[in-house]
Amino acid sequence: MTDTPMLDVRDLQMHFPIGGGFLDRLRVGAGGVRLDNPVVHAVNGVSFKIARGEIMALVGESGCGKSTVAKTIARIYTPTAGEVRIEGEDIASYGFAELLPVRARMQMIFQDPYASLNPRQRVRDIVAEPLLEQTKGADDRKDVPRRITELLAKVGLNAEHANRYPHQFSGGQRQRIGIARALSVTPGLIIADEPVSALDVSIQAQILNLMKDLRDEFGLAYLFISHDLSVVNHIADQVGVMYLGFLVEHAPRDVLFARPRHPYTRALLSAAPSIKEKRETDEIVLSGEVPSALDLPSGCCFRTRCPFAWERCARERPALQDVGDGQTVACHLIDEPERDRP
Amino acid sequence: MTGFLASEFFHNYRRSASAIIGSALMAAFAFAVLAGPFLVAQDPYDIASLNLMDSYKPPVWLPGGDPQFWLGTDGQGRDVWASILYGARISLFIGLVAMVASCTIGTLLGLIAGFYGGIVDSVIMRIADIQLSFPSILIALFLMSAVGTGVDKVLIALTAVGWVVYARTVRGSTLSEIEKEYVQAAKVAGLPNHKIIRKHVLPNVLTPLIVIATIQVGTFVLIEASLSFLGVGVPITQPSLGLLIKNGFDVLFSGLWWTSVFPGVAIMMLVFGINLFGDFLRDELNPRLK
Amino acid sequence: MTDQPLLAVRDLRTHFHTFSGTVKAVDGVSFEIGQGEVMGLVGESGGGKSVVGFSILGLIDSPGKIEAGEILLDGKNLVAASEAELRKVRGREISMVFQDPMTSLNPLHSVGRQMDEVLRLHTDLDAKARQAACVEMLESVGISRAAERLKAYPHQFSGGMRQRVVIAIALLARPRLIIADEPTTALDVTIQSQILKLMRAQIAEKGASMILITHDLAVVSEMADHITVLYCGKVVERGRTRDLINAPSHPYTRGLIDSIPDTVNRHDRLSQIPGTVPDIRNLPKGCNFRDRCPRAQALCAEVEPQLEPQHGTLSSACHFPLKPGEAA
Repeated sequence: MTDTPMLDVRDLQMHFPIGGGFLDRLRVGAGGVRLDNPVVHAVNGVSFKIARGEIMALVGESGCGKSTVAKTIARIYTPTAGEVRIEGEDIASYGFAELLPVRARMQMIFQDPYASLNPRQRVRDIVAEPLLEQTKGADDRKDVPRRITELLAKVGLNAEHANRYPHQFSGGQRQRIGIARALSVTPGLIIADEPVSALDVSIQAQILNLMKDLRDEFGLAYLFISHDLSVVNHIADQVGVMYLGFLVEHAPRDVLFARPRHPYTRALLSAAPSIKEKRETDEIVLSGEVPSALDLPSGCCFRTRCPFAWERCARERPALQDVGDGQTVACHLIDEPERDRP
Repeated sequence: MTGFLASEFFHNYRRSASAIIGSALMAAFAFAVLAGPFLVAQDPYDIASLNLMDSYKPPVWLPGGDPQFWLGTDGQGRDVWASILYGARISLFIGLVAMVASCTIGTLLGLIAGFYGGIVDSVIMRIADIQLSFPSILIALFLMSAVGTGVDKVLIALTAVGWVVYARTVRGSTLSEIEKEYVQAAKVAGLPNHKIIRKHVLPNVLTPLIVIATIQVGTFVLIEASLSFLGVGVPITQPSLGLLIKNGFDVLFSGLWWTSVFPGVAIMMLVFGINLFGDFLRDELNPRLK
Repeated sequence: MTDQPLLAVRDLRTHFHTFSGTVKAVDGVSFEIGQGEVMGLVGESGGGKSVVGFSILGLIDSPGKIEAGEILLDGKNLVAASEAELRKVRGREISMVFQDPMTSLNPLHSVGRQMDEVLRLHTDLDAKARQAACVEMLESVGISRAAERLKAYPHQFSGGMRQRVVIAIALLARPRLIIADEPTTALDVTIQSQILKLMRAQIAEKGASMILITHDLAVVSEMADHITVLYCGKVVERGRTRDLINAPSHPYTRGLIDSIPDTVNRHDRLSQIPGTVPDIRNLPKGCNFRDRCPRAQALCAEVEPQLEPQHGTLSSACHFPLKPGEAA
């Protein structure tokens, strides 16, 4: 055992140029003809570490860049800047051939149990797909059918399911197939992009329990993307809160839920509906909606919706600072706590 | 097979008059094309079997008709019915082969354009756009006059006209397909691009092509007929239905109408059958209409 | 408050005759809603909750059909009503809010025109009064610069704003009943809380009633006075919100509540309902839930349980209901 984290992300950035051909981007204005190059700032410098066997959750609302972080780490995208270290090895700029061995150490589970399985493949082919890329020799492949049966059993399906097609399964069962696929190469890290948000609540509990069991059995580390705070509260060891491509708060789970510091985290927590009797909290109610990632606000990105914002917030972008107990917060209120009243 | 007979597709097929008529017409033509030489005594292209004495016999129900030639004969004494059976062979052969060639080339280019995007995409799709801005018969005419006539030349011209519709459809489906999570899962699994295209994209973009391909056979039969009618299509030794119409057209106004009208009716029924069945397929295979 | 409920649904059966068999999407559902009440209709996907909403509005198209039952709005049976009568009811007396605002907004018409159309159909206000009513309504759902925004098209609004517009349109003709089908499911949590607050306030102010159809027990528990739980097209439990959430009597409701990740028992495994919803075309004999139920006994496989009164305000369809404080 070493101290090298399973995943170490440093200042990750992902910007997407908006497509469109040459003619679409041509603008004729007073200053003459120019070429427009709009860029979506999906992820703007995110850093965190996940140890072996640890579950880190990224939460935030749609468009906050949490899924982009996941897909950039999984190298579905190539990051604009920053480092992605898997067990110390920076894979951010790896090409296809260099990535292949990394794929055996890092796999992904997807959100949509319907779209994440090819409708024209049998379950056994779906589950075997990552494994077959890792085992090229005929000798190694002899074991594959037995391994698939084993994997299916691990996720609560049986051997006869292997010959069926995805449409013969319910959403929860499909998600199990997706998990079996990810496990097939015995990875150390699983990136789970909203793995339960498309499922009914009773099925969601089954999948969350399964993921926890697998973590305990194989010592898996998860990067768990979710918009659902109650799910995150249940499964995560540490939580990062994202807003417009920035990590605004990052803390161990208990600290974050007991003592959220960033106004956005506080708003998220108080907005989450609960079956409990209405609690008497000083609710932070947000007005307005998330600004466009095409044109980020100056200073703090959250200031357009923040009830506390003052002129410093427009001037200066707050950096993450340590406030103790492993909690870091990017907010000027930490320096000027006297402003923290409605 | 019992699975198919019990399927919803077959159930709907049985209830759709247009599907049954369309497929019956298609089956009739398929039979005529395959069994044609055995159905008629005369080989219209064997000069030895022709007798000039039999020329311009009217259909059997008109005065002067000969029961040997129930649809009449042409100027060389060729049986019109036999000519139609042999001509439909050439027409359908050209339609089918050109369709398969267009589909293969168009699908391939559409996959490449959609999957890789960027400059490759722009080049392929701009060519397609330019081509679409001309009537296809004009492009075919132009090509035929450049490369000369012959069955192979007709095939080249039709393929050059026909690939665009596949390329555009496949490119569109590919763009939506590569956004799907199973394609991303394949990337994470470490599959190289050619494998992703072959295993994940291609099988899922084919369904809409079935309808296009069916209807296109009819379109190609018509374009080929037009080319032949204009004299730039198949050679006189391999007359398709279109060339039969042209040959008969010269004497149409002399009252010898049967030499061109019957091949015309044959084309009409063939294309009508294909289109009826194609419409049924479109309704069945398009989940949006369900 | 009168004795007669605003809406009474009695033994509603809506079936879909598909190629692969009859889907009894709604099979014997009954409930009542009083003036000004909010009722939550809860269940998992396939439970039939949306079909109930569509049935009330008379929007069931072939191959679906209302096979039996009554839908009484002020005592008038909507099942027997003609299409022309239903058209008068829809929009004026009952309006609907869907999950995806784009399904109820026409992308080709400005928001103002779509709002105006509702008023033209259902009121006899003149153009000026209609305009004023539209501006007022948009403002009341929290859209600023309302007069200006009336000219905007749906795509010029964000998701949350669009849902506000839909709610404004739904409230415009002052309907007495609003059917909201997963109105906030597509929205982010901070937007969801804005919209829920807005709906609650508007309904209270206008004195309307609401059927809130959702899979989210947490949302329903914050919004509804009563909850009806559906499973496989049947009501398995209903009662006042707090009674039902705090001490449900049906094992399915218990299972749903316990499946919600919660701060109290979070270090343990979540309790889960095993198995999956049975195929609705091929339901088992007896209780539909028995295969997944921890309390099932031989009787459950034989006799289908009927809704019976339980403790408090609850009634549930279970042979072996839970007592308050009893675990499943």
